[in-house]
Amino acid sequence: MAASSMEVVSYQRVSKVFNSETVALMEFDLSIKKGEFVSFLGPSGCGKSTALRLAAGLERPSNGTVKIFDKSPKKVIKQTNDIAFVFQDANLLPWRTILDNVLLPLELRGGNKKEQKKEAIRVLEMVGLKDYLDYYPRQLSGGMKMRVSIARALAAKPKILLMDEPFAALDEITRQTLQMELLDIWQKEEMTILFVTHNVFEAVFLSTRIAVMSARPGRLSSEMEVDLPFPRKLELRTDPSFSQYVEDASLLLEGSSIKRELI
Amino acid sequence: MSIPTSEINSRQKLLIDSKAKKQESKIWQKFRQFYLGPIIAFVVFLALWQSVPVLLGLEHYILPKPTDVVAAAIEDWSLLWPAVQITVVESVLGFFVSAVVGIGVSILLASSKVLERSIYPYAIVLQTIPVVAVAPIVVIWFGAGYNSIVVISFLIGFFPVISNTLMGLNSVDKNKDELFTLYNATKWQKMWKLRIPSALPYMMTGLKISCTLSIVGAIVGEYIAGIGGGKGGLGYSITVAAMQVKTSYLFACGIAAAILGIAFYLLVSMFSNYMLNSWHDSAIKADK
Repeated sequence: MAASSMEVVSYQRVSKVFNSETVALMEFDLSIKKGEFVSFLGPSGCGKSTALRLAAGLERPSNGTVKIFDKSPKKVIKQTNDIAFVFQDANLLPWRTILDNVLLPLELRGGNKKEQKKEAIRVLEMVGLKDYLDYYPRQLSGGMKMRVSIARALAAKPKILLMDEPFAALDEITRQTLQMELLDIWQKEEMTILFVTHNVFEAVFLSTRIAVMSARPGRLSSEMEVDLPFPRKLELRTDPSFSQYVEDASLLLEGSSIKRELI
Repeated sequence: MSIPTSEINSRQKLLIDSKAKKQESKIWQKFRQFYLGPIIAFVVFLALWQSVPVLLGLEHYILPKPTDVVAAAIEDWSLLWPAVQITVVESVLGFFVSAVVGIGVSILLASSKVLERSIYPYAIVLQTIPVVAVAPIVVIWFGAGYNSIVVISFLIGFFPVISNTLMGLNSVDKNKDELFTLYNATKWQKMWKLRIPSALPYMMTGLKISCTLSIVGAIVGEYIAGIGGGKGGLGYSITVAAMQVKTSYLFACGIAAAILGIAFYLLVSMFSNYMLNSWHDSAIKADK
């Protein structure tokens, strides 16, 4: 494995079966290199969330192996702060202020309190919430809560950010703003991002590569490189090249669902 | 689109007028909405109570009038007041012990699945034993008086705390639990930073139930464990008054116990609101 130094996440013939009958993921093969932004795109039930949870060590594969930096995800979590996970809902602790929510991952690892606070404020500034340190989650809008959630994920300086449909519950305008912010952060912090979505536009706008998945059983049906230049701005959405990629991705998605119906 | 100035003036005036009226009527409105109904019901109830014994010709030792009850309370105030004080001390002690032991045991049980599985069934069995039935044993072990009464009060107040707290500790949101797993949190970090704060609303419910029960426990305890040398509490006063057929005073004792229960409940509710103030829905509704 010569290329493994660049390889951040690798799925090797990974299958996941729930309750010994529901096949959530079948023979999933994918290799993700450092600095990539890979979206898992597919209909519900295609196993895209399962694939992400496998990378986070939240699920064990029934077959095959998932490796992060050539180690098991569980081991990576035990030893480092390299993996961060952003849930679909902001998943904040309602009894903690915004600052304390962002401090949580640092607090759990222990260390210098003052430096932790500085780091938490740095990431909150990055998502534009420096003025809301003492607010409680219930006082914030959905978009702001998601920003806090992203800040919390960034606080521990992860190398891999796993995001499970983080913007699915937000309105279109907030979603577009957060997408651009996420791209900014991705470039600044030099991370590898795995992003689960069922939104074709979102996948094309964000990703360097899209893994198109199909359902029943969940599997990888095709891959697609998105060769659009960064930084990507709002104007890109009206660009013909963008539309072309969206069309291609949609066709791949449709193809995978037609195949499904033939089976 | 120009509007004649006179019209603007009259409009503004109307607005200011209505604002002032709103301010004034707000208190009245709130009063009418929340307090007027209960007050009227209370007055009607008192009037009925006052007139029924007169109309039916019932003797005061069968059904005393409210005025009789007040008179009895004033006449025997020197007995009633110390009795109330003693019961307060007993039930507060019983409540504190059941809160501390209840929460402590819950945390211990919740920290180990094996422990919980092996011990919790017995806790439920224990709960079904009527405390009145075992109270004499408590008296044999702890002697007549204070100690036994506090123990009985504790026994009655303890189970709501433990069952509610345990339920809270075990109903942590799955996503939040996974979040802590992803950050490699230890078992006790999860307990202090996630499970106990998540369980707080449940704990508070348990405490609210337990505080009124602890008064019941104290009074039942006094029935059985008696005075043990010193002066007796409300329960003791009730037994004595019943034997002497001092019905009016019995009513006064009963009402005193009820007021005690309400006061205790309100106090614990205030504490609960304070604890959940910043975040929990049940407390947030109260400040709107």
